[in-house]
Amino acid sequence: MEHTNEADVLRQGAIVLVFLAVLSLIEYFIAIAIGAVVLLLVVIIIKVGLVMYYYMHIAKLGEDTTGLDPHGYEYKTGTNRLGLWLFLLSDAFVFGGLAVARFNLLGLNRPALNQLLGLTVTAVLLMSSFFMNRAETSMAHGDRRGFIMGMSITLLLGMVFVAGVLGVEWPSAIREGITPSASAAGAVFFMMTGMHALHVVTGLIFLGIVLHKGMRGLYSTEKHWGVESAAVYWHFVDVVWIFFYPALYLIGKSL
Amino acid sequence: MRHIVIVGILVIPTTLLTYLGLSASSLMPLEGSAQALIVDQMWNWDMIAIAFLFSVIVVPLAYSLIVFRRRKGDTSDGVHDEGNIKLEVTWTIIPLLLVTFYAYLGAYTLGETRTPDPNAWVVNVTAHQWAWAFQYPEGFSSTELHLPEHKQVLLKMTSLDVIHSFWVPEFRVKQDVLPGRTTELRLTPIALGSFKVRCAELCGLSHAYMEAPVLVTSPADYDAWAQQQATAFNALLAKGGPDAGKAFVAQNGCAGCHSIDGTRMTGPTWRGLFGSEVPLSDGKTVKADDAYLTESIKDPNAKIVAGFPANVMPKFDLTDQQIKSIVSYIETLK
Amino acid sequence: MRLFYRSALWHGLVWQLIGLVVGALFVTVIRAVMGLQAFGPSLFTEPAWVVGGFMSALAFLAGSGALTDWYLWARGIETPEHREDPEGWEKYLSVSLDHKVIGIQYTVTALFLFLVGGSFALIFRTELAEPGLQFLTLQWYNTFMSLHGIVMIIGILVGVAGVMNYLVPMLIGAQDMAFPRLNAFSYWITVPAIVLLLSSMALGGFDTGWTGYPPLSARAPIGMQMFFLGVFTAGWSSILGGLNLIATVLRMRAKGMTAFRMPILVWAAMATSLITLTATQLIGLSFQLVSFQRLLGMGFFDPSKGGNPILFQHLFWFYSHPAVYVFVLPGLGVISELLPVFVRKPLYGYRFVAMSSLGIALVGFLVWAHHMFASGMNQYLQVPFMYSTLLVAVPTGVKFFSWVATLWNGKIETPTPMLFVLGGIVVFLLGGLSGPPNGTVATDLHLTDTYFIVGHFHDTIFGGYVFPFFAAIYYWYPKATGRRLSEKLGKLHFWLFWPPFLALTLLMMRTGLIGMRRRIADYDPGLGLTWYHVGMTVAAFLIALGTAIFLYNFIRSIKHGEAATGNIWNSRSPEWQVPSPMPVHNYPESIEVVGEPYDYGLAGSQYVTFSKEEQGRTPVHGTH
Ligand code: HEA
Ligand code: HEA
Ligand code: HEC
Ligand code: CUA
Ligand SMILES: [Cu+2]
Repeated sequence: MEHTNEADVLRQGAIVLVFLAVLSLIEYFIAIAIGAVVLLLVVIIIKVGLVMYYYMHIAKLGEDTTGLDPHGYEYKTGTNRLGLWLFLLSDAFVFGGLAVARFNLLGLNRPALNQLLGLTVTAVLLMSSFFMNRAETSMAHGDRRGFIMGMSITLLLGMVFVAGVLGVEWPSAIREGITPSASAAGAVFFMMTGMHALHVVTGLIFLGIVLHKGMRGLYSTEKHWGVESAAVYWHFVDVVWIFFYPALYLIGKSL
Repeated sequence: MRHIVIVGILVIPTTLLTYLGLSASSLMPLEGSAQALIVDQMWNWDMIAIAFLFSVIVVPLAYSLIVFRRRKGDTSDGVHDEGNIKLEVTWTIIPLLLVTFYAYLGAYTLGETRTPDPNAWVVNVTAHQWAWAFQYPEGFSSTELHLPEHKQVLLKMTSLDVIHSFWVPEFRVKQDVLPGRTTELRLTPIALGSFKVRCAELCGLSHAYMEAPVLVTSPADYDAWAQQQATAFNALLAKGGPDAGKAFVAQNGCAGCHSIDGTRMTGPTWRGLFGSEVPLSDGKTVKADDAYLTESIKDPNAKIVAGFPANVMPKFDLTDQQIKSIVSYIETLK
Repeated sequence: MRLFYRSALWHGLVWQLIGLVVGALFVTVIRAVMGLQAFGPSLFTEPAWVVGGFMSALAFLAGSGALTDWYLWARGIETPEHREDPEGWEKYLSVSLDHKVIGIQYTVTALFLFLVGGSFALIFRTELAEPGLQFLTLQWYNTFMSLHGIVMIIGILVGVAGVMNYLVPMLIGAQDMAFPRLNAFSYWITVPAIVLLLSSMALGGFDTGWTGYPPLSARAPIGMQMFFLGVFTAGWSSILGGLNLIATVLRMRAKGMTAFRMPILVWAAMATSLITLTATQLIGLSFQLVSFQRLLGMGFFDPSKGGNPILFQHLFWFYSHPAVYVFVLPGLGVISELLPVFVRKPLYGYRFVAMSSLGIALVGFLVWAHHMFASGMNQYLQVPFMYSTLLVAVPTGVKFFSWVATLWNGKIETPTPMLFVLGGIVVFLLGGLSGPPNGTVATDLHLTDTYFIVGHFHDTIFGGYVFPFFAAIYYWYPKATGRRLSEKLGKLHFWLFWPPFLALTLLMMRTGLIGMRRRIADYDPGLGLTWYHVGMTVAAFLIALGTAIFLYNFIRSIKHGEAATGNIWNSRSPEWQVPSPMPVHNYPESIEVVGEPYDYGLAGSQYVTFSKEEQGRTPVHGTH
């Protein structure tokens, strides 16, 4: 990051966001107009690829570390990065299992959910990922104000997302008769959204801590693993939703 | 080299002895069904492979322990031999071919055990904690499984509560019985005699005791039995009343949970039940009259007796007629 | 004793109790306010017990101090990378960051679980000695049997973690694990897990076996929930331990330790960790789903709500089959590690053996449905799963053949560790060979859920885990204590352990074929199995006797064992090139790998060197 200029990186982040937004619209269109699952999958893969490459910097895992002091900060960060990704890999299996349960139980049907709400919360989460990326980039370039700005907005959007899912989506679903105990469909819906929301909340706590430490000036251009890890985790939660949103709202025909 | 030859020679008799030992000590129970014959054939193939593979490993191992053990005062090391690619590839490829062959055998055998016979006859099996009930094409049901010899039967099985598993060791093949769906099993009895269905899936407290008699008879004997059962059943239906109720209770294995002598089992005893004030789990009490008893049988969870678990008593498919006579039977249990 | 009351263990336990009560009361109050039933037959209601149990685990961790450093990190306070441990036995009850201490904590915990689980086995084996119910009720039989299974399995996971934690950093020339704090956390979370598991006995027990299939597990007593919670928390230890180990091996190897110069046990540990890291999540999930079905009536596995009981079995076995390779891979690694030392010959076909571990782990992910052949799963999936199952035999075979070839032309010595290695090989062979018949659908339809299966997996588990585990203890005990275990008692242990064990499992298989079902408290005298069962029970007690002797040896030798500070096995691997007990930071910085690990019999060859000044002792060569 050192040699890049902050503005460029920020612009890059913005472009990625535009792409993600457009892709999401295409996805929605495919779902209502054609309903081709394969196409949906393609779009999903592309979105995930974008987030992982540009926001989560998966490429950093491959950085060669020869000649680094094994007790130095840089080498340790490399190790931590590996650890975090291993954790995400492990966590992915929980969500994978939930997806399997969903398709085993409901096949190509889906609960009749409020499409507008779904689209809104999805947009909110995407935005938050964008601002998270801004915050990290700013810190990487020693721009504390930008960092605090980005972090705060991310936190805010995160809370909006949780409020949207738990506070609006759940009650409206229950009013539609989709309750946890009514049917397998209800059970699946609440389990998937609930498990994801749980991760969002832990992410929010993590972000809060990092923001607080950042304000106290505990991070620097060279040493901000705390920020990077919070960011990667937050983007991961977004990636999960990139799978879950279509699985719950788009794929198959509404019950 | 000498050693290899010796071991090679030793492996052959060991294999033979192991195999003979295994097949001599008749491992499997009596072959009671056509399927058993096929399964045992496959089993025999397995025994051959096992006898050989066991010897191939154990003989050289034992041999080395004797011949290559460190002699007193010898402090030298063994020969420096890191391996031999050709050899290693060989002992990867050969097992690979072997398992591929066995997988083929296995698939073939499986197909054999499942070949449907166009004129197979059907028995519906209902499993519940902890009894089996069999509904026969002649329209009656019984807790005994009677099968005519040399005639393929298709069992259509379902469970009223948890997962059970239908197994008659002499017939070999096993099939789980699930709630909410029907699983099938094809059997062709070939040996006259009486055996037992043994529930093979842990299904709670009395899993160990969830057995039912199986009688393989000559077709003639079966028909006689079926005729007599059917007529008796229809007679009961027509007649109704306590005696009929008693019979239906027997046929549906209610006794698995309800005593008539006052002892507490999984369910409340029926002794002195009728007319009593039954305390319910929600604190209320209800008078055990016809209406209540009928309801408790039709919809066991409508009212839960205090001190007894809900969702334990299954819903039985009983006609109103049958329930009526069962209730009248319970009334007699003062 | 006063030291004990200051220990992390004690604080943790006290806090766990507090957490339990607080959590349970919290829910109870809420329910009371909402006008729901506040108290149940077993004091609290089920939701209260579950929340309480969950809180109790967190409270234990907080109370024991396993979370302190992270809490400080959140507050922005830096803590030192390594901290000093208290002197003497006290450090084993404290939250240490030293992988050696943690390894020993794991190992001792595993032994404890082995004793507890074994005692359960002794109890229900006695009940089974003759038909009819002697002294157990049906409910207690099921509870003891199920707890025996799960306690032993958790015991294995803990024991495996112990072996890997203690050895892997030493074997790769590292000073510690990649994440020492995470390491400590992974250990300490197992303790509340065990407490939760055993507490199920106080809450009506559970009668589902260790597999906890719904719908039965959806109706079992509240003890079921404690079982779920216990396994769930223990699972996190497995997951994080695996994560830590992979990171350690990938990032902490000594200079010059290329992939194919790693000791074979490290390869095994990697393969194992790949499984624990990923698959474990699914047993956690499957149990969570049943737990929620019980608490909130969510109908995942309830047919009347459109649920599917088979789905649970798929999720459960997706973990629980690979898990069985978690049990054995490290053990097989230990076998491959020790054989060359006692045969004074290189491990035959090192690369194939190394790859076979990965092969087993990867293929092991594709075979889970062989536990479900009779379950009513899709029939057209049965044949593919049969084939994949049989495939596992191939890489496993590679190991066996390599072991035999290693023994061939060697100079074999048979001290106690080697006895357990050889015994393990034979037992695992029996267990392994009884696998393919289960894997073949047609025969499995007869074998499934009988004692044949029980025999199969006791053989595989003992041969692949228990025997190698004891071998490892006899072999590395001096490394940890500077004293060795008594050879005489060790041999006695082996001869009380091995023959009765063979008898036990062969009888299991025999009775299974005749018609002895699994998980039954009472059996039909008509089958004529009584004498077989008597035999099994006697065998069980002989095994227990052997175990008791081992315990005596283990405890006595800590103080009175024969001193052994040097390279007593004359091994080449790095940990034996430095004095025992192992120094706190294992090796001097300058450790470097310069040769192959198992070049026994190659004069003048070296595996590791330390630069002159810091050198512990002159590196021992392959030859005397
Ligand atoms: C230590 C753990 C362990 C190990 C290593 C294994 C190894 C194997 N297991 Fe086992 N298994 C269990 C633990 C283990 N198992 C447990 C705990 C259960 C019961 C769970 C429960 O229900 O409670 C179980 C149940 C179980 C079942 C389900 C039975 C049923 O319930 O119906 C099956 C079915 O396929 C099976 C198969 C196998 C196979 C094919 C192997 C193979 O990996 C074996 C491979 C090894 C060899 C084959 C021997 C050496 C190889 C050679 C000498 C080379 C040449 C060999 C050939 C060409 C065949 N096992
Ligand atoms: C590590 C795994 C492991 C180990 C070591 C064992 C060890 C033993 N097992 Fe285990 N067993 C399982 C794993 C294991 N088992 C599993 C997973 C199941 C399936 C459960 C299910 O179906 O759900 C099972 C089921 C099972 C059954 C079938 C039960 C049934 O289906 O109804 C039987 C029956 O004989 C049995 C017997 C034994 C015996 C006799 C031993 C002996 O080796 C034990 C020897 C005794 C000891 C090692 C204890 C030593 C005790 C002392 C020295 C006294 C001092 C004690 C204290 C100080 C506390 N086991
Ligand atoms: C698996 C066990 C089981 C079986 C089999 C069973 N029951 Fe029950 N039954 C129960 C339990 C438990 C209760 C008490 C809980 C409840 O009321 O649902 C009960 C309650 C009842 C009651 C109410 C009794 C009272 O004291 O108020 C009646 C009547 C009854 N059963 C009839 C039957 C009949 C008729 C059959 C057979 C066709 C049968 N049961 C089979 C378990 C069983
Ligand atoms: Cu029914 Cu076991
Ligand atoms: Cu398996």
